[in-house]
Amino acid sequence: MTSPELRTEIEEFLYREARYADEFLLEEWEALLTDEFHYWVPAGRLQGEPSKQLAYLNDNRTRVATRIRQLQTGKRLSQLPNSPMRRVISNIEIESANDGEFLVKANFVIYELAAQSSGELRVWPGQAQYRLERVEGNLRMSAKWIELVTADAGQRNLTFLI
Amino acid sequence: MGINYRQLVRGDRIHGSLLHDPDVFAEEMEQIFVRGWAFVGHESEIKNNGDWVKRQLGNESVIMVRGDDGDINVLSNRCAHRGTALCWEHSGNNSFFQCTYHNWRFGLDGNLRAVPFPDGYSKPKEELGLNRAGQVANYRGFVFANLDGQAGFIDEHLGAAGYELIDRLCEMSPSGNLDLGKGWIGHRVQSNWKLWPESDSDGYHVGFVHASMSASTDTHYDDVAIGGDAVKSSRAVDYGKGHLELDWRPSYKQELSWLGVTRERVQDYYSALSQRVGNELADQMLWDGPPHAFLFPNLFLGETVIAIVEPVAPGEMIHRHTAVQFEGADDAFNERLLRQTEAAFGPASFITTDDAITAERVQAGISGIDTSWASANRGWIDLSRGMHRELVDENGVRSSNSSDETTNRGFWYRYLEMMSEEVTH
Repeated sequence: MTSPELRTEIEEFLYREARYADEFLLEEWEALLTDEFHYWVPAGRLQGEPSKQLAYLNDNRTRVATRIRQLQTGKRLSQLPNSPMRRVISNIEIESANDGEFLVKANFVIYELAAQSSGELRVWPGQAQYRLERVEGNLRMSAKWIELVTADAGQRNLTFLI
Repeated sequence: MGINYRQLVRGDRIHGSLLHDPDVFAEEMEQIFVRGWAFVGHESEIKNNGDWVKRQLGNESVIMVRGDDGDINVLSNRCAHRGTALCWEHSGNNSFFQCTYHNWRFGLDGNLRAVPFPDGYSKPKEELGLNRAGQVANYRGFVFANLDGQAGFIDEHLGAAGYELIDRLCEMSPSGNLDLGKGWIGHRVQSNWKLWPESDSDGYHVGFVHASMSASTDTHYDDVAIGGDAVKSSRAVDYGKGHLELDWRPSYKQELSWLGVTRERVQDYYSALSQRVGNELADQMLWDGPPHAFLFPNLFLGETVIAIVEPVAPGEMIHRHTAVQFEGADDAFNERLLRQTEAAFGPASFITTDDAITAERVQAGISGIDTSWASANRGWIDLSRGMHRELVDENGVRSSNSSDETTNRGFWYRYLEMMSEEVTH
């Protein structure tokens, strides 16, 4: 059983991570990651071995740093201007808590405005699976895997932090 | 046909209305995707009899299926009875296709096998098969189809250049064969489909549209595509028939630049490759890399990525891609190609996302242009760059600096030919 204190701590972490992503607080977001962070958005369900599949996004720590650097250049056309966006996360389930490592699932919906081109309102529903670790007393994210409801259907530009 | 394409496609410019006019789009789907050859898929996607994949050819949903005899058929995904779509998933394996409306059952060759309560029909079954592509051709696994069957031989369509470009890619595989079985990823873009052949074969934009990429990571495009003509010797090539290449080879400064690694990292691949082709050729291939080429009307050989340009509506399209996997290469090498593909192509990539936004901005820019503006000299898109320095060889192949619009003009030459052909049926 997860203690109410732990649940609150994890929820607060997820809400903070979500807000940093929504507001393009890139350095703050990156500071939440461990050195082994794995970021994955498959073109289907969250199953199988990620390295063997062709995904929308499959970043190791080095590549996610490049992703953030690209956004910080001020020349990233597909995020000029940054998408106004807000996400709602809910249905938070703490799947396991062992030795300072926590597996957490949550549903999300992101509302994103394509301010860079057509002005279309884009809706991104899905489930996020997080692996969190305690590093020097603080929670850090060592994996974020995203299963999009629309995974099979193809996507608009996904150039924000999902 | 009310649209005079010769008025709208000129040697040095095209009219913006061609990128959004609904009547133009409707005629393209007929003239180019029904009456012409187009790429459908790769045979490695359907290895076993009964394997099928669903594809879109212009307005037509089709099933590419390996039949009971091992042959590849391209069938309309539409029951011959009431028009119900037969396949919903992207791919599958069936021993027949059965419609869910009245349980009509079709063989993998599209022929009608059985209907419930057959006494109600006096027509022969032969008249009630699925529509199928009139011509299907397979070159080194690349499957092309011509829906109406009147397009002439595939050799005429691909030409020597089409074959050579496919060869150049396939020959880099240790076995000589590709595997394109990793699935296709759809990038949905709010632009006209023709902006992608343009972007995929445009060498001029790289340093501008992709400035954020070159500012944040080292890529081979720094050497081959960025900077003025003085610093690079890459070529933009129009082979005719709308087949185009950005030939990076003259600009590479080291082997494997296109993969961003040194030879030590891909030693197993090199050994396997040189076993078949010899060291000398393998060395050359490591320098040259796979082609960056577009085959009219919808196939992009994007170095280690293959993409299909899929029209949806005048202002809506899908750029659909998969990773090249070399049959006979080690797993680590092929996984490197997967990661390279994810970095370069698709909705969350570092490169084609900025092409997508650019295409959407073009679409926003041209959306008000009417065909009638052409005669008032408004709404033109200029494609004249490099016309004065283009070279034409004895085979009619045009080439120029890689920043020149030789490739873009080549697409539109072929487009004009196809759009102004008389409809004979």
